[in-house]
Amino acid sequence: MSALLECAPYGPRDESALLSELSQLSHHHLEGCPEYRRVWPGWVGARRLAELPWLHVGLFKYLNLKTTFPGVQFERTLNSSSTTGNRPSQIALDQTSSALQARSTGAILRDFIGGGQRPLLVLDSAASLRMRGAVSARIAAALSLKPMASEIHFLLTDSTDPATLRWDLLGDLLDRHDDLLVYGFTWMLWLAWGAASIPEAVSARLNGKRITFVHSGGWKRLDALRVDRAAFDGALLRGLGPGSAVIDYYGLVEQVGVIYPLCAHGFRHVPVWAGVLVRDPFNLRPLLEAPGQLQLLNTLARGVPCHSVLTEDLGIIRAGDCPCGRSGPRFELLGRVPKAELRGCANA
Amino acid sequence: MRDVPLGLYAYRGPSGVSAVALALDPEQTVGAWSGLRGHMIRERADAFTRDEWAFLIAFLDPVNLRWPFLSTFGDPLGPVAGRVTALLRPRGAIALWLPNNVSLLGPLLVVLVSLVGSPLRIKAGSRSDDLTTAFLEYARPRLAGVPLGDYLASVACAAFDRGDPRNRRLAEDAQVRLVFGGDAAARSIDELPHPLESSGFAFTDRRSEAWLEPSRVDDDLLLSLLRVFGIYGQTGCTSPRRVVLLGGTPADASQLCNRLTALWPRAHPRPPPVHIASGNQMARQWAAALGWEAVVAGGQGAVFAVGDLDLEPCPAPMLLMVVAATLAQAEAALPANIQTIGHALTDAAHPRWLELLAHTRVRRFVPVARMHHFGPVWDGWAFWRQLFDEVVLDPGVTP
Repeated sequence: MSALLECAPYGPRDESALLSELSQLSHHHLEGCPEYRRVWPGWVGARRLAELPWLHVGLFKYLNLKTTFPGVQFERTLNSSSTTGNRPSQIALDQTSSALQARSTGAILRDFIGGGQRPLLVLDSAASLRMRGAVSARIAAALSLKPMASEIHFLLTDSTDPATLRWDLLGDLLDRHDDLLVYGFTWMLWLAWGAASIPEAVSARLNGKRITFVHSGGWKRLDALRVDRAAFDGALLRGLGPGSAVIDYYGLVEQVGVIYPLCAHGFRHVPVWAGVLVRDPFNLRPLLEAPGQLQLLNTLARGVPCHSVLTEDLGIIRAGDCPCGRSGPRFELLGRVPKAELRGCANA
Repeated sequence: MRDVPLGLYAYRGPSGVSAVALALDPEQTVGAWSGLRGHMIRERADAFTRDEWAFLIAFLDPVNLRWPFLSTFGDPLGPVAGRVTALLRPRGAIALWLPNNVSLLGPLLVVLVSLVGSPLRIKAGSRSDDLTTAFLEYARPRLAGVPLGDYLASVACAAFDRGDPRNRRLAEDAQVRLVFGGDAAARSIDELPHPLESSGFAFTDRRSEAWLEPSRVDDDLLLSLLRVFGIYGQTGCTSPRRVVLLGGTPADASQLCNRLTALWPRAHPRPPPVHIASGNQMARQWAAALGWEAVVAGGQGAVFAVGDLDLEPCPAPMLLMVVAATLAQAEAALPANIQTIGHALTDAAHPRWLELLAHTRVRRFVPVARMHHFGPVWDGWAFWRQLFDEVVLDPGVTP
């Protein structure tokens, strides 16, 4: 168990405790995961976070990595959303880690959207829950909001079609509640709600209601539509009551449990049970106040060695305190590593 | 067939003189491409990398462009004057399907087909850079006013996906279908309605490797190998995915791996794009997880992995595997879809290679430096020859 998870997410940090927990976790994975052991054969210990072993995020697309330990029970596999032509990552979910991850996500989100429970409306279809043995990143992200939900409703009849939003159901819920929580992938939230023609009857009932929109998944599709954050937030919040908010968070299925909501000042804050490094892509040296590849670490992952992952996202760590009041490291997310497929003469 | 006036050109082959009907004068076409080459040496089209451009320039060498005629029909004799015993004429319209991660195949095939002069329609990959159109757009204005320019103006190239109805029309209208792509794509194209007497050539997923004998290993050879590998990495069907050190020991293979790693920055001094550098970190870990001893070269441009022949291969794009093996082991471990063996052997002309190749599926056995050289015979098919059909003339015709 992670003792750090008992702390407030953005309270005072104990870096030596973090290093100690992450080191123990690395040894745990070295013992229980043969592939991991082969990747890091000579590792014995770390004096700082940058010396901890890590795995490249892409590895989870090709290898089904699992760490076995007494009592471990793998339940389902979490699949990342993948863009056209790309393989999804597959992360085995074990009971122990899932419990820690749920606590972590709950604590982080409560810091941003407050405690209490309210109806959670998910921009997905209930059918997505019924995949045997697997869970999509979208459903996993939605269900991470469960601790804040008094009831859960799925707003789409077809999970892939934003035009299937059940406005009748939304209208009914607005009649019965003043405070709602809505989760969707960023592009789906925009297409199904933000850019949609909301029926007059529903639009009228939205007026003055307090709605918290939580979204994740990135802006790639909206960039193509030339929708920026201001337009996105403005469309969603139009006509809503005080206290309504749009929370955009960053997270990876390979770092399930730790999410990075954007604070009011444009930064991502790192909870006390997690760490972040930025590395130079060409020599892997840690960077401060300079852009590079993000490495994310957390103390939650027991069944898969994804506690320290070099991502393909670019970021920059900012020094100093954030005006939002959260302490600890913070970073700006700069987007994905620019990608161009390696051109071949053939058809690999 | 009478839409395009055809000239008759004579070639002397082993079985006599053939007349070849061509829409474009072959020497004029070779000359026009050579003229374009002059432009290309001075200015590169933005869509192409330096390596791609250099490869194209080399491909347009007149000696290379005369080779399809020479190897297929024999020595050129000029316009038909004496008795001929065979007539070869273009089969007709050609449809070409290109895969998604192709770079130069489109331009190379445009050049090869232009030598025949048949109408050409191309389906470019829907998820890749369309270098064919880029090449056509570069070449057309620079060849305006010459027959080759008119021909290139007639070449149609469009990008669409596998389900697009235009695939069906391409297949229906073509006398020859050239398909480069994965097995599934080739199968789906083959299933499209097409003229009964048309021909189809599917160039599907292939693998290549380099076979070296320790006595031939020196820095020049290794630099050549690294240049060949560095163009496409494992994504090229003609790129070596594995280097087999014939008759070497595991220690020799390890040493070879170290030399390749050390020489990489000399062969490729420019740093790779960030995503390649990142992908190579992943590749190193992937290979290590599979049991390979892998190291990322300086500059992060490639990964070299040494291990046993029976380890699971690591198909990361810029990772090159190095193994030691006896000839028998190397032969037994050839992949079923082997295409090219790039060799560096003490005696590559020794009859034992012929004996070995006779019972393998190897399609090309060429020096390492020539592994990427594309030509009129590919994947075991004399496909360029098959762009023509043949009329038997008995007892021959004298114009």
